Amino acid sequence: MVAARALAVVVALSAGCARAQSPEALDWLRKIHDATQRLSYSGTFVYQNGGRSETSKITRYVDSGGDIEKLEVMDGVPREIVRTRDTVRCYLPESKVVKVDRRSAERGFPALLPERVTALAHHYDISLGETRRIAGFDCRAVVLTPKDNLRYGYRLYADSASGMLLKAITFDSAGQEVEQFMFTQLSLGNISRDRVRPRYAAGSWRIEDAAAAPAHLAGWSLNRELPGFRKVTELKRRLESKPVGQVVYSDGLAAVSVFIEPLEGRSVPTGLASMGAIHIYTREVADHRITVVGEAPAVSVQRIADAVEYRRPQ
Amino acid sequence: MKEKISALMDGELDGKAAAALIDELQRDMRLREHDGEALDAWRTYHLVSDAMRDARPLSAGFRDRVLERLAAEPTVLAPKRPAFEPRKRFAMPAAAAASLAAVGLVGWLALGPQHQATAPQSPAVAQAVVQPILDTKKPVLVPLPTATPDYLLAHQGFSPRISLQGMAPYARTVSAQANEGRK
Repeated sequence: MVAARALAVVVALSAGCARAQSPEALDWLRKIHDATQRLSYSGTFVYQNGGRSETSKITRYVDSGGDIEKLEVMDGVPREIVRTRDTVRCYLPESKVVKVDRRSAERGFPALLPERVTALAHHYDISLGETRRIAGFDCRAVVLTPKDNLRYGYRLYADSASGMLLKAITFDSAGQEVEQFMFTQLSLGNISRDRVRPRYAAGSWRIEDAAAAPAHLAGWSLNRELPGFRKVTELKRRLESKPVGQVVYSDGLAAVSVFIEPLEGRSVPTGLASMGAIHIYTREVADHRITVVGEAPAVSVQRIADAVEYRRPQ
Repeated sequence: MKEKISALMDGELDGKAAAALIDELQRDMRLREHDGEALDAWRTYHLVSDAMRDARPLSAGFRDRVLERLAAEPTVLAPKRPAFEPRKRFAMPAAAAASLAAVGLVGWLALGPQHQATAPQSPAVAQAVVQPILDTKKPVLVPLPTATPDYLLAHQGFSPRISLQGMAPYARTVSAQANEGRK
């Protein structure tokens, strides 16, 4: 009975592995990737998870020197995030704080390069879906269906003409939607540099610099890898002004971060917290707080958390 | 190669192709330090299916110990093939595959009862039988950590999704802050 069930899983899995990827769908992914790097735009989008939804404005300016992007939240407390090629700044006007994250540590980080799109096919079936009109754009759906329950699936709607991503739905292994991003208004091109400057004159604000830098976190490892997820970077940073280690694992599309911070005698509740597609699992290992954060199913995040171990370096 | 391995696991390959592939698996296995693509795919697929099937990984060296013992056993299944009879070329690799399958089966059987002994008989476990999940316990639910916006800000920059979606995923950071504000 056990063997029969196992065999069924194996057969189902291998059938999934054997299914050919549509080259056309891969081309669409490359087209979306290219549009994301190349286009200037300005628009309004809604982020939804569960019953919550929030409206934000996003503006992107591209020139030969690189790109600058600004995200402003329109609902609730005002705040904005400005991302340049090498720095992310989060402006919190209520507390007059700027959180600064320099991206030197991730320079050269092989995000999702066009040539890696093909590698995604190891973990996802990639196919073309329906056409649909979204915010005035004629869009085509590209569907990434995960081959196991360790990652989410994605339904991406991109403008047929430009490749610009208009809508992204994340769904779980049962096909249930867990979150979505959707533009309700978008204009491409003609963005002046002024549009991506921060709204706030933050000269007198307190600056919290994460001081992220590549590091080797000696003694820390996973005693069991999660299939398909590989370590992509390891760094140290400051978080709430305390030193923290961060190790990032990714399957090429989803990423999971392991944060490691000294507990200094305090204790932490072990358990899982969720927000849309983000899961956060916290536990204690060797007098350290381990916080695993990822846009992956709870089971993946928990499994990575459970695999974290510390061995005193010899 | 991966397609071929999965076809082999499905029993879809014809005898000749299967024999060639099993030969390749054996070759990979002999050069243990450098796992070849075929063996790598074979193991990965089995590992993934193990994971989905709720099985625990076997102890390090389990396979080697079993193979050693198998080697020490008198060979009944795979008598030495006569070199002159081409049809029987398949006999040896097939037997090897059977041995491998047997190793896998021993693994499942050995783990089965253990699981039942240790797993609490709760409805969650019963459900796990129907819908294969990993051998993770049902987690305790806790509130989002107070530093969630900071964790997300630190994490988000490493999400490959940014390559497809620009910084829209950073909206989650903001959303987490809103969550925090509601408490």
